[in-house]
Amino acid sequence: MGSASRIAGKDLKLRMRDRSVFILGILAPLVLAYIFYLVFGPAATGQGLSLAYGAVDEDGSDISSAFLSVLENAESEGVLELQTFTGPTEAAAALDAGDIDAYFLLPAGLQQAVFTNQETTIDVVGDVDQPTSTQIAASFAEQFSSGVGASQAAVAATASIAGVPVTPQFISSLSADPAAAGMSFTLVDQTADTKQLDAPTYFAAGMAVFFLFFTVQFGVNGLLEEEREGTLARLMAAPITRSAVIAGKGILAFLLGVISMTVLIVATTLLMEANWGAPLGVALLVMAGVLSAVGIMGLVASVAKTPEGAGNLGSIIAVILGMLGGTFFPIASSGGILTSLTYLTPHAWFMRGLASLSSGAPWTAALPSVGAILIFALVTGTIAFISLRRRLTR
Amino acid sequence: MKAISIGLVNVKRMIRERSNIFFVFIFPIALVLLIGVQFGGGFAPVVGVHQSDDGQLSEAIVSSLQDDDSIDVRVFETRNELTTGVEEGSVQAGVLLPGGMDDTAAAGDSVEIGFMARTDGTGGQLQSIVGAALSEIMAPVGAAQFASQETGAPFSDALEAAAGMSRQTSPIQVEVSSTGEATFPDTLGQFDLGASSQLVLFVFLTAMAGSSALILTRQLGISKRMLSTPTPVRTIVAGESLGRFSTAIVQGIYIMVLTLVIFSVNWGDPLGAVLILVAFSAVGAGAGMLLGSTFSNDQQAGGVAVMIALGLAALGGAMFPLDLFSPTMQKVAHITPHAWAIDGYAELVRRGGTVIDILPELGVLVLYASVLLALATWRLRVAITRP
Repeated sequence: MGSASRIAGKDLKLRMRDRSVFILGILAPLVLAYIFYLVFGPAATGQGLSLAYGAVDEDGSDISSAFLSVLENAESEGVLELQTFTGPTEAAAALDAGDIDAYFLLPAGLQQAVFTNQETTIDVVGDVDQPTSTQIAASFAEQFSSGVGASQAAVAATASIAGVPVTPQFISSLSADPAAAGMSFTLVDQTADTKQLDAPTYFAAGMAVFFLFFTVQFGVNGLLEEEREGTLARLMAAPITRSAVIAGKGILAFLLGVISMTVLIVATTLLMEANWGAPLGVALLVMAGVLSAVGIMGLVASVAKTPEGAGNLGSIIAVILGMLGGTFFPIASSGGILTSLTYLTPHAWFMRGLASLSSGAPWTAALPSVGAILIFALVTGTIAFISLRRRLTR
Repeated sequence: MKAISIGLVNVKRMIRERSNIFFVFIFPIALVLLIGVQFGGGFAPVVGVHQSDDGQLSEAIVSSLQDDDSIDVRVFETRNELTTGVEEGSVQAGVLLPGGMDDTAAAGDSVEIGFMARTDGTGGQLQSIVGAALSEIMAPVGAAQFASQETGAPFSDALEAAAGMSRQTSPIQVEVSSTGEATFPDTLGQFDLGASSQLVLFVFLTAMAGSSALILTRQLGISKRMLSTPTPVRTIVAGESLGRFSTAIVQGIYIMVLTLVIFSVNWGDPLGAVLILVAFSAVGAGAGMLLGSTFSNDQQAGGVAVMIALGLAALGGAMFPLDLFSPTMQKVAHITPHAWAIDGYAELVRRGGTVIDILPELGVLVLYASVLLALATWRLRVAITRP
């Protein structure tokens, strides 16, 4: 182990003097995470839509004010913001100006139509670029319409069973209020925790683990550089075992990965207010993640012929795994075949592990993901070690 | 003539490098496909549903939710999977249909349907969409419960009577209409938005990554050897610029043609589309040259190239539609050449513009290209004549 750590120490000094590791391992992920956060942050956080609606009440009746009070209730619960307008022209102007997402038009004669059982219409006019807000507005009107329909059906059904016509006298003879017919169900809120990263943490973690696979290459590919420059033959002539040489490069790669990840975690916490979660859980995830990167890049080095070849193949693998693993945009959440593919990457498990630590979960919440990442590390690392050893024998 | 052959050598070197085949030719197309499949279908919120049993009401509610155009529905087999889906954000909200709903309704009781949403997302607001779908299905049930209580008739008879009634009595119709000019009109193809932004991203990335080829040319002494022949410095500089420029054009044309053939992407007016590509490739060539003559270590230049190319692409709207940027970020975006190129394509594709309409964008791109190429020429001249 002594010679392995001496080799790693010597290489670490070399790498630290070369600014390349600093650029790819720290500067690039930090700058990109910050830019991505600036650009995608507002969209990615999924902060609820701020629903701003307008209402035009041309009827001024009990029914129209019943509908308005439904909206006012929603407003007082903080679900939406409501403005009332005197006429459609004013509401349309506010819609054009972008002050509201949609407005309701309660036409004159709404109540009359309902009482005489004639068709009438509530118009919902929305901004074409706010389809979801418009649909939510429509759903308020639809729910109200269903409620009115239910109470009318209740009266009509009661009358038809009793075999009498629907008259004002009949309605006043009913023992209960037919409006209750609209309340045959209740939506009961069930609590759900948040196991998703907030925007700064998502981009910080995504970029950190994406560039991690490039960073460890500086360690692993050193073996191929020594091979090309002839220093490897000299190492082999010294009383150092082949395993120690490989281990030395592995330790170096591991150190580079851990150092860059640590710097990134501290920097993004301070600069971007990223919340990485329970330190012990994060540390385990980082160590497992770095090991899997070393294993995978070791495997790449073992099949490549030259350092450049390893660098190029490594970049391809790192980019594919990174994209698929959802480090640039979340793939896991969309469902379908891509979601299954994404878990074939250590990146996805890393992100998932961090997500399970979010909202203050204890460090043990990350253990399943740590385990999954370690499987990648173990399998690729073992194969890489064996084939690199065989290569050094030649 | 010598400048052209220097340029051609550069293109050949790019195509011969095997990893470039992936990054220049395979990866951009794969990404256009991925983004088109992922996001091209629109952003309808997804609601997860779990049925505890397959009673009549339960089935009716699920199919009513599935018929709702404003949401996508995913059915979950178990309650736990639904909870996890909501917590991890794969669905924005969850609807939990209890068992025995038919019996509960028949007994005259209110049916309790679970609604699950996280506190931080759009989920809570989906409650009204779910509520609207439910209230339509539940209207006859409520009417029947009422009639059955009033008359003492069995629930099933009352339901039959009410179901007939509620079809006739739908007094209030809700009509939804939209106003304004759509940012993303329906005519926009699934892959259209992704294709032009990926073109801009990759043409610039490839041109920037070309900086390491330029550094290698200098490191290996090729520039010095060229200088020792009767070749003036300006010819070498022109040749290297032409090399960066042609590699960018080759990739750009490739992406355009392939996305046109495979995904039938609409590029708008062909002349306009090619002119933007030419102007933008010149910008990329200038930036790549500047980087390649400023750095002398190709690994460092490679890292900086990736950082700048991806960073500018994100800022310039090549990863996320410019229209959705905040006003401030839109101003920041237009510092990058990317935003101007993307605006140009948007003009051609979404508004059916012609060359005349994109003259401002082309002008800005040409300005970028001239400044960058002038700076790069000066730096490269210094770099290759330095002893």
